[in-house]
Amino acid sequence: MNHSRDAEYSEYVAARLSSLRRLAGVLCGDWDRADDLVQATLVTLYVRWGRVRAAAHPDAYARAVLVREFTHERRSVWVRRVRLTGTVSDCPAAAADHDAVLDLRAAVAALPARQRATLVLRFYCDLNVDQAAEILGCSPGTVKSQTARALQAVRRALGPAPAAGPADRPAGAADYQINPGGPGHD
Amino acid sequence: MIESQLRTLFAQIASGEPARSRVNTQLARRAGRARLRRRRTWVAGGSVLAAAAVAALAVGVGPARPGPAATGPAAPRQFSPLVPYASFGWLPPGVSLYAGGITPAETYMDAGRVGPDWALGVYARGQCHLTGSASVLNCPGSKLRIRQRAPDVAGHRAFWTGPGPRIVWQYARGGWASMAIPAPNLSAVLHSKQDLAGTALRIARGVRYGVTTRLVFPARFSGLPRQWQVHDISFYVPDGGLLRADQYMLTTGSSRFHPRVGDTGVWTGAPYIIVGPALRKSTCTPHDPATKNTSEIINGYRVVLKRFHIGGLPMQELCGAHADGLAFDIQVFGAHTGIDVASLFRDHMRLLGTNPADWTTNPIG
Repeated sequence: MNHSRDAEYSEYVAARLSSLRRLAGVLCGDWDRADDLVQATLVTLYVRWGRVRAAAHPDAYARAVLVREFTHERRSVWVRRVRLTGTVSDCPAAAADHDAVLDLRAAVAALPARQRATLVLRFYCDLNVDQAAEILGCSPGTVKSQTARALQAVRRALGPAPAAGPADRPAGAADYQINPGGPGHD
Repeated sequence: MIESQLRTLFAQIASGEPARSRVNTQLARRAGRARLRRRRTWVAGGSVLAAAAVAALAVGVGPARPGPAATGPAAPRQFSPLVPYASFGWLPPGVSLYAGGITPAETYMDAGRVGPDWALGVYARGQCHLTGSASVLNCPGSKLRIRQRAPDVAGHRAFWTGPGPRIVWQYARGGWASMAIPAPNLSAVLHSKQDLAGTALRIARGVRYGVTTRLVFPARFSGLPRQWQVHDISFYVPDGGLLRADQYMLTTGSSRFHPRVGDTGVWTGAPYIIVGPALRKSTCTPHDPATKNTSEIINGYRVVLKRFHIGGLPMQELCGAHADGLAFDIQVFGAHTGIDVASLFRDHMRLLGTNPADWTTNPIG
């Protein structure tokens, strides 16, 4: 643990902290938990700093660490030992607190962690199926099925749309169809 | 389309990032260094709890009355490393056990949906002490400030503690348990519309002791001297199924604890083992200027042997990123331990593959 390692690490974290927090916030839907998640991620990044530094895309590596922390993949109990216990940060109210947004937010929050992570990687990080699969450590096929299930669950939670077209039919009426190349190949 | 609504929602959440962050880079560095040194896990909780003492607490009640002490059977003096002594008997819908660990002094378990929502710690006999005025419960690495009396748990006295909200209770003579509650402070627990206090009590009352769910290990060591033992195990539970050990330590007759190395000490002559399913992209750290690395094949697996110094102690590490679907890492601190990690792996360690049904409940034997 020499000084250059610490300096490099600190510099990297200072530059990327905000984007990691935002990703964690979107994953958790709760800034307090997001900070815990980022804190755990930073510990892992420090431990694996050699790999981060050597990675072709350090940011992608860091994002993968964060998402995997979130989905509990090979979760270590050490995570809990770095859990923050300070005061809760003041969260600003959502910009648009109308019912639809709240319903959607609740529907996403109710998804299993892995499905939520899949949606976030696809629709917040704008990753394609292969990229999301790499981060989640699963096959592209799994990403597709997780995406489909997640979207189906969100639709189900929101209920039938007033004028539902074929793509917006309520869950159960028909299986959700995925684009042949996967939703991320566009 | 729902996809575009999701994009809008996520962008909206991200734009609401609060300026004030509780993320502490320095703490992360310290914890990272500690993990590299393989500090003993349960001790580390102390610094976090100490830091929490500065947090504000809305519930301003004085020390609680001691209440009746537990009678009946005594708590175990120490816990078996292979069988968790306690387990959750009831958890709220959607919440499940996902990780835990065992040290001689503590069995701990984390349950939650997303993160460690409910963190249970059950301590061996004599590990926790209630101060005379019943204002503080001192447990290893934790100083739990008692705020008020809670309803009894299975006939034993219980208390609410803060600022990080917990319920603590005496589960047997000389033995205490504590459980963190997912709320910002105790006031939020006691005035929760979702009845967090009632949920906490129900979980606490449902905890089972002396259960016999054994851990499964993805590796077996054989041909080792009789003094070798397993210690300080961490496990995870991926699908609410088997309790899978992934980090543990082996002690030998010559293992020694050095309390002054690092923040909380380190064992020499005691291999620290990490083993579990390999990720597709698993690697052994490819390059560290301070490390002498050699790559070789042992037992048909490509491994990286590293030698370096940490905290003034020499350290050997053997890492395999892909070994029949498993990844492993063995670390030994100390100069004259008589343990060579390469020989340990070559002659004594057998990896059991990725199917937990093939794993063992008896890691040494």
